[in-house]
Amino acid sequence: MKLILLLWQREGISIVRNTFQMIMLVTIFLLGMYAIYYGYSKITDQHKTIKNVEHIERNEFERYKNSFYSDHTTVKEKQLFDIASNPAYAWYRHGYHAILHPHSLAHMSLGQRDIEPYYYKLTGTSLYYQLFQSELANPLKLYVGNFDMSFVLIYLFPLLIIAFTYGLYTEEKENGMLPLLRLQTIGLRKILLIRIAFYYILIVGLGILLSSIGFFVSSEVDILTISLWLSVVLCYLSFWFALMFFLISLKKNSSLTAISAASLWLLFLIVLPAVLNVYANIMYPIDNTSLADVTRRRSLENEEDLDEAKAVVLEYLQNRNDLKGVDSLLNVNIMAKAYAAFTALNDNHHRKEVSDYFNQIMLRQKRISLFRWANPAVNTQEILNEIVESDSEIFQSFYLSIESFHKDITSFYVDKLFLNKEITSKDYETLPKFNLKTDSQDRNQKIRNGLIEVMVTTFLLFSLSWILFNKTTF
Amino acid sequence: MKRQVFLIAGKELKGMARQNSLKILFVIIIMLLGFALYAGYIAYKQQRIMVDTAQKERRAEWLDQGNKHPHIAAHYGTYVFKPKTLLSLFDFGLDTYTGTSIYLEAHYPHEFMFRPVQGYGNMIRFGELSAALVLQLLLPLLIIFITFQTFTKEKETGTLKLLVSQGVSIRSIYLGKVLAYTLIVFTIMVPFFTGLYIVGVIEKTSSVISNMGLRILLLFSVYIGYLWAFTNFSVWISLKSSSARNALLTLLIFWITTGIIIPKTSANLGETLHPLPSTKTYKESIQHDIENGMSPNDTKEKRMARLKKDYLQEYGVDSLNQLPLNFGGIQMQEGEEYANKVYDFHDAALYEKFELQNRAGSLMGFIAPYIAVRNLSMAFAATDWYSFNDFQEKTNTYRRHLIRTMNNDMAKNSRYGEFYEYKAGRNLWETISDFKYLTPKVTMIFKYYWMELASLSLWVLIMFILIPSSSKTN
Repeated sequence: MKLILLLWQREGISIVRNTFQMIMLVTIFLLGMYAIYYGYSKITDQHKTIKNVEHIERNEFERYKNSFYSDHTTVKEKQLFDIASNPAYAWYRHGYHAILHPHSLAHMSLGQRDIEPYYYKLTGTSLYYQLFQSELANPLKLYVGNFDMSFVLIYLFPLLIIAFTYGLYTEEKENGMLPLLRLQTIGLRKILLIRIAFYYILIVGLGILLSSIGFFVSSEVDILTISLWLSVVLCYLSFWFALMFFLISLKKNSSLTAISAASLWLLFLIVLPAVLNVYANIMYPIDNTSLADVTRRRSLENEEDLDEAKAVVLEYLQNRNDLKGVDSLLNVNIMAKAYAAFTALNDNHHRKEVSDYFNQIMLRQKRISLFRWANPAVNTQEILNEIVESDSEIFQSFYLSIESFHKDITSFYVDKLFLNKEITSKDYETLPKFNLKTDSQDRNQKIRNGLIEVMVTTFLLFSLSWILFNKTTF
Repeated sequence: MKRQVFLIAGKELKGMARQNSLKILFVIIIMLLGFALYAGYIAYKQQRIMVDTAQKERRAEWLDQGNKHPHIAAHYGTYVFKPKTLLSLFDFGLDTYTGTSIYLEAHYPHEFMFRPVQGYGNMIRFGELSAALVLQLLLPLLIIFITFQTFTKEKETGTLKLLVSQGVSIRSIYLGKVLAYTLIVFTIMVPFFTGLYIVGVIEKTSSVISNMGLRILLLFSVYIGYLWAFTNFSVWISLKSSSARNALLTLLIFWITTGIIIPKTSANLGETLHPLPSTKTYKESIQHDIENGMSPNDTKEKRMARLKKDYLQEYGVDSLNQLPLNFGGIQMQEGEEYANKVYDFHDAALYEKFELQNRAGSLMGFIAPYIAVRNLSMAFAATDWYSFNDFQEKTNTYRRHLIRTMNNDMAKNSRYGEFYEYKAGRNLWETISDFKYLTPKVTMIFKYYWMELASLSLWVLIMFILIPSSSKTN
């Protein structure tokens, strides 16, 4: 213990005396603080937008509700009441919002939250007309990516580890200290590990400190999320320490060790994922051009042709056993019914195309994720996104939930329309509500598997280095 | 002196040829470059086929839509797909982050849909491997690895003193080394760009991009300038460093700071300083201005009343039915024109925000030459923000022309108060020519990217200044 403290004290003094290392530590800390600020400001903006759309929705429905108690003396009041009570108007005018609320720690790893839309306004009109709208974004900014906490941990912390540890063994040799160290009773490997442990505590400590600041700015965080986040940070940083221990064990000169470490950093963080992305693009190309047509605003060929309108309604009713017997009510509001039926039939017609498109995406992502284990950096990014629910899977669940929400909306209005029922003020108590359906079991399994993969890689690397160190001669 | 420079360059090249690790790195870079180009070409081909097919289908749909009222046709609308430029096989630029298709219909100028990035999953944030990425980030790293000890080694072994004592100036040694490394860069660049030029000339089917030969020549010049400056800088650092380790660390820190950290932070900072509105807020403010007018005198009601009065006065009639034109069509077009004015106003404000965000990055090009070369490379490949914006503007002009033609036809050929009674046919649809796109002239790039050109030129100039003077011998 005394030896450990002595060696750590020596390392501490050397860091304090080394201006370059101090600057690096402070810079990473400041960049980490900026990353937290940036992530937090992005998520705050998203919260503001969400509040705004919720407010708009609430106001809209309040106006509808109040219209039941007004005198309907003015044209405007009458119009509003019609929109509030008549499903023929209401089904395509009442605007609902499906929102994917940010996780309380989403600011730490923004993931896909700047790429994918996180809210949709939905009416009973064609789902696909409404589903493929994009959120305003600067493409150059999307290309560059987010400077969030996960970026600092995944990209910058390994550099800190490399800078602090690459010369731990070879510098002693190059400074002529190695023969002196060999004279000590304690083994070189042990000395090296004690020294590495010092930097491990320092850098992991910095990672935990920055993460804790990130947790602190959040309004509510549960212990499980915090524990998971910290476990991932520990595993990932341990991987890089194990990797450095491995490179040091090869006992090459300090320049070669630094070059090898920089090359591995480049390999894991730029080359491998970049090659995989290109591979995915050419092996699993996604044709979204054919899908564009489903977003078209379509209508009946001739909106005055009653026969055509009836034919469309009857075709729609063929698939609606629950509305059987309403044929007799066909002559009331026929054009509104025909338009609603046409929209539903049109969406049904395109459902397979849209589902094929999402299946193409899922297949591509599934295939790429097969390589996830081979790259701890990508694996860590994926796990962090999964923990804070900013991963691509959550957005797929969001799309699927929107489909079912849209079904609820159409059924709420269209059923009343076909049954010639008015919307009553009581109906406003049972309006359709958006529910995000996620497979939390699958998510937890992915997080667990990812963590195990990083841990196993780290353990194997460490064991290999342990054996290698004593076998390699300098 | 010339002879000395060539002798030293020859000696450097021989020295490098003996190092197996450098040979391996060199081969890796060539392989990555080859793979990136191949993958870029496949992606280009795939995308071209998809876009061509979709564009032909949509065109046929427009022409074969049958007889209908022009306003219904304007709502039915059509689609435009963003074609990939041939040089996107070299630099994907922002293609992955900009939408690929747009729905053109009356009243609603839609946003571009389907950003390819949405189909990748989390890993896309690590980037894609393009030939441009290899030249911008990986080749400089190879340059660092082969140059960092070029002077320090001479100092450590004492050969530098020996050379100087024999009357060889530091300038000659410096120039000789730079010449040797520049030759290596040339051995990669010349065949690569010759190949690119041949592909560009052979691939005649691509009519999207203008000035192909000139663009490739400019790309070559920009990359040569950048890589020469980088080589010079690396050799200079080696000259000024006391040890190989210090030189390597300095260069690696420079590479990471200017290639990874600054580009990300500057883009993020740009976004923080000039935040974009949410789509919801943006669209709402546009709708508000269309309804209520951009000035109190311009409300929809007042505009329409004015229009009616003007037309009745112009034709000297008392009622709209007496007009020789269908006032409904005039009214619709007026609505479109006013909406266009509102959209132009809001789009200009948004465009300015994008520009301000991007300018933060461009400014940082003076510190980080990677940013300058990245932006210029995208621009010459026509995969940058300005090219996308140009495409967007041209689709907008096309949409406006399409709607105007439909409204004018309605005004000219149908009667006021009638709608379904009038039907236009293929003759009218054919007056709308198919959408064809050609990128802006290459000279526009000099206007938009003067800051990048200035920063890259400054870097080259500084490197010239840093070359040791002939009088310097120590």
